[in-house]
Amino acid sequence: MTAPTSSDAADKLNRLAINKAGGRMVADYWEDVFLARERGQKVVWYNGSALNPIFQAAGMAWCHGEAFSARLAAQHLEGPAQLAGSEYGYVGELCSYARTHLGCAVLSQERSAGAGNGPGMVGLPEQQELASRLPTPDVFVNAYAGCSTGQQWDDISFRVFGKDVPIFNVSMPYLWSNRPGEGYMAGEEWEQSSRYVSDQLHELVPFLESITGQPFDWAAYRQNMAYIKQASELRQKAMKLCRHTPAPATFWDWIGNVAHINFLPANQQLVDFFAGVLAEVEQRVADGVAAVRDERYRVYFDGFMNWNHLGLLSRKFAAHDVAVVAGRYTHHAFWQEPQLLDPEAADPFLGQAQNNLLCPMNHATRTTTDLVLRDCDFYDVDGIVFHSTRTCRAFTNPQRLMAKAAQEKRGLATMFFEGDIADASFYKDEVLESRLAAVLEGIDVRRARG
Amino acid sequence: MSVDPDTAREALAALCAVADDPDAYVVRWKERTGGRAIGVFPMNFPSEIAAAGGALPVVIQENREPDSLGRNLLAEFYCGYTRNLADQAAKGTLDIYDAFFQADHCTQLLGAVDVVRAEVPDAPVFFGQLPTSMSDSWAGERALATMRSFVEEMGRFAGTPVTAAALADAIAVHNENRRLLREVYAARRAGNAALSSPEMQVLVKSSMVMDTREHTALLREVVAGLAARPRDDRVRLYLSGHLSHAPRPELLAAIEECGAIVVDDDLFTGGRHISTDVPEDGDPVAALADWYLRRDAVAPCPTLVKHETDWEERLVEAVDASGAEGVVVLMVRFCEPHMLYYPELRKRLNERDIPHLLIETEHEGLPVETVQTRVEALLERIRRNAPLEAIR
Repeated sequence: MTAPTSSDAADKLNRLAINKAGGRMVADYWEDVFLARERGQKVVWYNGSALNPIFQAAGMAWCHGEAFSARLAAQHLEGPAQLAGSEYGYVGELCSYARTHLGCAVLSQERSAGAGNGPGMVGLPEQQELASRLPTPDVFVNAYAGCSTGQQWDDISFRVFGKDVPIFNVSMPYLWSNRPGEGYMAGEEWEQSSRYVSDQLHELVPFLESITGQPFDWAAYRQNMAYIKQASELRQKAMKLCRHTPAPATFWDWIGNVAHINFLPANQQLVDFFAGVLAEVEQRVADGVAAVRDERYRVYFDGFMNWNHLGLLSRKFAAHDVAVVAGRYTHHAFWQEPQLLDPEAADPFLGQAQNNLLCPMNHATRTTTDLVLRDCDFYDVDGIVFHSTRTCRAFTNPQRLMAKAAQEKRGLATMFFEGDIADASFYKDEVLESRLAAVLEGIDVRRARG
Repeated sequence: MSVDPDTAREALAALCAVADDPDAYVVRWKERTGGRAIGVFPMNFPSEIAAAGGALPVVIQENREPDSLGRNLLAEFYCGYTRNLADQAAKGTLDIYDAFFQADHCTQLLGAVDVVRAEVPDAPVFFGQLPTSMSDSWAGERALATMRSFVEEMGRFAGTPVTAAALADAIAVHNENRRLLREVYAARRAGNAALSSPEMQVLVKSSMVMDTREHTALLREVVAGLAARPRDDRVRLYLSGHLSHAPRPELLAAIEECGAIVVDDDLFTGGRHISTDVPEDGDPVAALADWYLRRDAVAPCPTLVKHETDWEERLVEAVDASGAEGVVVLMVRFCEPHMLYYPELRKRLNERDIPHLLIETEHEGLPVETVQTRVEALLERIRRNAPLEAIR
């Protein structure tokens, strides 16, 4: 058997056209962040949960650390930030999001102090330019569900900036589900945790007011949440249409608009964008247009995104006639339970808190397994591809047990490949290539046997 | 009170035996008492609660076996302790425990504990998340609520509520044990070189495993039988780090064999574990919550977020107080809190011109020659009083 070539692959992948236009929205957002100081806006650095509707209502510019690290990696511009982090002392096995972002902190400090001479390597000064364009923060807000490293990361950012920048922590309980009846959105643990986080968000409001010097705009917040609710409902509806065979869009398309739903400003433009996404997907279903030409296999993707190799991975799977139809990262995060959002509720923070708590890394393994197998049934997949994400232990935690359950309970094919979120060095292309070929052959054999 | 040196040696040998094979002790204790054992995951679940419920609390130790079956349950880029926990669960060695408690929010540990939950399905695994952001105004209330949940759960497990009197008694017993261990530490800082670094580890490690009254009795015999031995001219070192489990005794021995003597440490299986007593007056559950909050102030931990206290400041204070001439940072490979905090330690040590060396450890394999070469280089720098900078 001859391995598919990259030119075959490029022909086989049919990305959603609207995502290309959506890329402009993301670029504009970041330019806006870079110029926040010039506009006199306060800048908040935050990690973890999507608190951006709150920052928006407070009149601040917001920078999601992970998102910036992901953007650098996707553009292959992460090198200078990671080098700066390494020189500062961070070990290479540390979360590459954190390493990259902390490297940006070092670079942006150097820039603001006028001391950035650059690492002196060809090509790097221009790359460093982007990494160091991040405006230094006026405040840190941390609200990290699932991963303990997330909270520690912001504490270290706070220390890198000499403990001079105020910081606020929202503590997110891990949903372990000790008791029978507790689980996904169920039981006393869920109720208590929801209220606990909502209460903390209420404490955040006067803290932000003390930073901005302005009263929090509750009406704006309710409006923001109304936009987000609409956008999320549209996105969810579009994603579910990938149940069709052939799939009208893939996991890679949903990766392509993660930024929009995760941190772009809540406004009519956001709603219109996702209305456009849904319209394009619906049209494809009506016309029988496939996202992967000659779709022969359908798989589920479990793992954090490998931002360094987004294009390569999407082409590789398509080249093997594989439609990656859904994934834990794209489908179990980013306001995935919009029905919980009630902008007119007495406590409008409750739905926000609940969606924040439902981060896909914030459940015990048995809950996560149930959710993933539910998706596998819904999207009728042949198997699960696990991205064993080297520096993201939180996402990797349940994978081995989930693979076991998928094989035993559903008879699904499973495979692992190694890579990382933002450190290209952990990805081994040949390993993925050979394992993917093997798992697809296994699926063929199983089909032949009936 | 002094005891016969042979008695002291025998007591130390008994503690060594427990430290070497904790599982054997647990099995014997259960046979002897008919009681039940609680597996405690590090670092902050208060053993007092399990003891007050009539069970034997055991801080589960990394064992010495190469990992095999567990490698199919947890990825290879987890710390050696969590990978080994998964391996112990897969091999059935954790079946000696009747229940498990966890209080710490550590991503890797949660992954391993979920493996335990899957592989030891008959034993309840209770997780209560103590607050990790210690500066928040609601942290105290949250810590108290979590401690109450532990006490209630222990009562459910025991089949009878855990009383305040039983808790108070357990607190007093554990405080006595910690105080005695701290006395040994204080003597070492003051110049007594009677115990080697591996032996110091034995004292603490066995305290994490044994019935506390039994441990205290043996510890008293060890302490009473030891003749003070003046410190010689070996280079004085401070060991820092190694969260959640003990570094291999061979590593500690290898460091001292290079011509150094360890005079103090903030290792988890060391100074960190015994740093703080629980208040003995008032409501015992509130006292445990208070202990948890104060423990991080006494021995700042990178797994917790507290903006007012700094590990690096506490470290240089401890170095000054112990007369240490250098620091060896023992970092468990893949330990994210430590990886995140290490540059802050390095920066402060460099500012103070305190020579230091970073050594990463793994579950399997100890490159003794490499470690000794690096330690010898550190000692040489100290002796020469060379320009001081981090050696990595």
